[in-house]
Amino acid sequence: MSARNPGIDLDLEWVSKVKVNTQAVLKRAQQIQGRKVGKKQWQAAWLLKAVTCIDLTTLAGDDTPSNVHRLCLKATQPVRHDLLKSMDMHDKGITTAAVCVYPSRVADAVKSLKAANSSLPVASVATGFPAGQTPLRTRLEEVRMAVEDGATEIDIVINRTMAITGQWAALYDEIRQFREACGDAHMKTILAVGELGTFTNVYKASLVSMMAGSDFIKTSTGKESVNATYPVAIVMVRAIRDYYLRTGHKVGFKPAGGIRTAQESLVWLALMKEELGNEWLSPHLFRLGASSLLADIERQIYHFVTGRYAAYHELPMA
Amino acid sequence: MAGSTTKTVHDIFQSMEYGPSSSSSSTAQSWLDQHSRSLGLFIDGKFVSPTGRQSRTVTDATGGSVCTTVCATEDDISASMSSATSAYKAWNDLSCYQRAKVFLRLASVLQKHSQCVSELCELSQSPTSPATLVRLAQYYAGWAQIRDTSMPDWTPRGVVAVVGSDDCSLYSLWLKAIPALAMGNAVTVIPGVATALPSLLLAQLFVEAGLPSGVLSVLTGSDMSLGAQVAQNSQVNYLTYSGNKQDGEMLAKQTAGWGVPVSYSLSLSSVCPLIIFESADIDSAVDGVIETAFKKKREWRWVLCVQESVWDSVVARLRLRMTGMKSVPLLANSDRAVVDAAVQEAQQQGATLIQSCTPPPSGSAYPPTVLCGVAPSCACVVSPPPGPVLPLLSFRSNAEGVTLGNHSPHGQAASIWTEDLTLALECAKSLSVGSVWVNSHSIADPSLPLSGRKESGTSTDGGREGLYQFLRPTQSPPLPRSTPSSVDYSSFGSAESRASIPEGADPSSIPRSYQQFVGGQQKKADSGCTKSVSGPGGAVLAYCPDGGRKDVRNAVEAAAKVQPGWMKKSPSARAQSLYSLANNLEKRGRDIATSIHKQTGLSLEEASKEVELSVFRLYDLAAWCDKERGGVQLLPQSGSALSIPEAIGVVGVILPDRKPILSLVSLLGAAVAVGNAVVMVPSEKYPLPSLEFIQVLVDSDLPAGVVSVITGGRDQLTHALANHSVIQAIWYWGSKEGCQFLQHSCCSPLKRLWLHSEEEEEKQGGGRDWTHPSLLEEIWREAVVWKSLWIPTA
Repeated sequence: MSARNPGIDLDLEWVSKVKVNTQAVLKRAQQIQGRKVGKKQWQAAWLLKAVTCIDLTTLAGDDTPSNVHRLCLKATQPVRHDLLKSMDMHDKGITTAAVCVYPSRVADAVKSLKAANSSLPVASVATGFPAGQTPLRTRLEEVRMAVEDGATEIDIVINRTMAITGQWAALYDEIRQFREACGDAHMKTILAVGELGTFTNVYKASLVSMMAGSDFIKTSTGKESVNATYPVAIVMVRAIRDYYLRTGHKVGFKPAGGIRTAQESLVWLALMKEELGNEWLSPHLFRLGASSLLADIERQIYHFVTGRYAAYHELPMA
Repeated sequence: MAGSTTKTVHDIFQSMEYGPSSSSSSTAQSWLDQHSRSLGLFIDGKFVSPTGRQSRTVTDATGGSVCTTVCATEDDISASMSSATSAYKAWNDLSCYQRAKVFLRLASVLQKHSQCVSELCELSQSPTSPATLVRLAQYYAGWAQIRDTSMPDWTPRGVVAVVGSDDCSLYSLWLKAIPALAMGNAVTVIPGVATALPSLLLAQLFVEAGLPSGVLSVLTGSDMSLGAQVAQNSQVNYLTYSGNKQDGEMLAKQTAGWGVPVSYSLSLSSVCPLIIFESADIDSAVDGVIETAFKKKREWRWVLCVQESVWDSVVARLRLRMTGMKSVPLLANSDRAVVDAAVQEAQQQGATLIQSCTPPPSGSAYPPTVLCGVAPSCACVVSPPPGPVLPLLSFRSNAEGVTLGNHSPHGQAASIWTEDLTLALECAKSLSVGSVWVNSHSIADPSLPLSGRKESGTSTDGGREGLYQFLRPTQSPPLPRSTPSSVDYSSFGSAESRASIPEGADPSSIPRSYQQFVGGQQKKADSGCTKSVSGPGGAVLAYCPDGGRKDVRNAVEAAAKVQPGWMKKSPSARAQSLYSLANNLEKRGRDIATSIHKQTGLSLEEASKEVELSVFRLYDLAAWCDKERGGVQLLPQSGSALSIPEAIGVVGVILPDRKPILSLVSLLGAAVAVGNAVVMVPSEKYPLPSLEFIQVLVDSDLPAGVVSVITGGRDQLTHALANHSVIQAIWYWGSKEGCQFLQHSCCSPLKRLWLHSEEEEEKQGGGRDWTHPSLLEEIWREAVVWKSLWIPTA
């Protein structure tokens, strides 16, 4: 990963000046959705880029070592080798960006990846995921334990109560403590945008999270009723741009929840390219939190290579 | 695209380019092939290709030939006009419902052929979404349906010509043609080269939708002279033009004296301010700039005005957003030299550039460029160069932002960005432009009137307001046509007035010497000269000042000074002033009736009746003051849209001979009621009642300068009014030559003209009936300009 965001002192004046015009953001989102990516090799290349940005995720109550193991191996070889070979991409190190699991499954994932001789990072959600409604002490402890188990990326959830009621200083302090608990592990901060009420609040929460040293800001847990939408993403990436322009620190963005089709992944990439430029089109600064997305992308790539539509059973399962 | 097909997946994986966008034009191509790549004129419901005509080639973006069109000649114009004249009767005889049906069917026909329409627009380089045309058809279907119930006192003009310049957009052209048809007129469209093919296709689709043959014709030509030729045809009742200023001026000169009212939409040549306040959502504002300022084909030319406190953050975002943007093709190869020169000049004056990439050494493409740190005095701000170049100015306070936006000869539109609602509304009120878009830009919907101020045009298109240009009051006869006389434009109205010493006057009854009324004071003419006023028998009744250029200047200065304050007064305060004016008129009723009697020979009884009617008229207008206030418009998008009538500014009026007091009071009242100031020139033949009326004005509480009355030679004073740029409109009753002179000379700077040739009107039975109450609305519509305000919401 690139240089980390060290964070800065909380700047409440900056936070208070935030202005977001909702209709203009919605219009911009429509515009970006209309942005067309070329066909054929352009589409294939963009889809492969999307693959490399995926945090391949399983966050279910019935996760066990065996399905985590399958997930890890799919993450290391996300697209069928022969397909990659026919595009001359088999030796370009195409893997997903990371695997993402619950804290209790971190050890399993680390073990599977190690056995497969892969250096793929393991990300763990933490801090009372998804609601964040557990005491601060246990939330901090959760982070430390996940890191101990070998997670090199931690996806924390923010305290929505504080964000909704505007206790930005308190929120800043909490996230600061999480960041400390993370140590060398990179921290992705989940804002749970579906529960923040307004775009202005989303922008402010994004700024505070970045000031507190988040390496990524992430839209949602995937467990709220409203997940990653393009308009809310535009608000967040604008905050990233704002923070970058003021501090020079580059913070990454991770939309998550409800991203299922190859077509959507292209829009997400276009959104990053339009708003932040090509530099943000890499796993260092962009992640897609998804579980079923990869299967659809692989099918599209199959179609590009063979000209036929694949049946699901033709492509290895995760 | 030679290199692009060889790019491997890995190349693209690293560069992350978007890749080529696929664009097919097969449907449009096959339509063109059906017509053997040579489209005729659309006359009497079908394509005709008369032999022996010149042709013009339409080219696509790469310069390749797409198709040829025919250049219409005099014979073709006659053929199209005679079919239009007979078709007009049939079309207007249909019921509103039957006409409305045609537009609704057009909407579905357009949807059916949307692929072809959109491809053809793309091919001929005037990209238009078929959805906007469908919206036009559906919107005006509604107006066609309710014409008779909502505008019962109005009748279609007859045959209307709609002319577009070569660079005019399809939407702005048909934003005129479709409402003209919906109101029951027959229409001849004379499109420019870029809109020729889509317009011909639209004409064909109209016929498919059931429009009777001949109601709509499309004539193509080689340049603007075709529009002028059509205007000269005696069947045409009204002409409206959309396009650039140069072609508009040419059209004005060539149509002068033909007796056709002409209106202009010069949005293409207008420079519009895009104002970003510190209270704006800066990112959205910058998005707006990026979206609108660097297009190949721009409807609007922008100047970006940014509040000093957010200057850095706007510039930083522009810089970031503009990196990697591709060069934009220029419209003409010759533009490149102009752009280079303009950018170089700006740099020499200390401007810094934000440029997406370095400009290619030559060729007709240029990268999006922002010129930072220029000032209003720089050439690139006064007239921005063509191409994707945007001047960026800074301002200090909110008020200065508005001043900066207003300080321009243009008045088409403004885009303002702020999250502060009060500021947005105040700013919208103070900007002297036709459209204000809050936190948005370039919104074009037929329900929002588009109208220009100052140099941006005299026409209002769209909305209910835009329909009246295609109608005339039922009780007023159609304007008579004429043919131009030989007018020496340079010497018109320049005859010197000669001082005359009254001779042979009977010492026992020396005629009274009147004074004129300038800036709230009774004054002699600046030249010191007087003119005698004779009664019907030829006896000298009085002497009046022989006013001239300097008197007009003084009156206009006073008017310009007081008018903004008068306009800002509450409508009810203006109403009170008009009521008091009416009461004063009533008090002096006898004197004025006597003056009418002496001046015109009308019986005293009839004269008193005219005065009485005049008092009523002022009461009517006073009552209107705070009643007619435009309205809320409904758009398909979510948001709030308002259309607001506003004062034009200073209006010059040359009064008619007929009904000297009633006409004066009606015109003065309507103009002043909405907040204008007027400089009035009484009829040269019958000035006495107006001179007597000055006493009524002296006694009134109208602020000094709101109304001035200057007597003297009509031609001299017409010339003086025409030559003062502060005057935004001239209402003229007078000679045919005077009309011709005004049409010829008031195109640059542009004025709103309302012209009446009295001699021609007399031939037709005397022009409008000043006593008819429906006159009120007609004058009121002449006295206002429309502003539309759009505030989008989520």
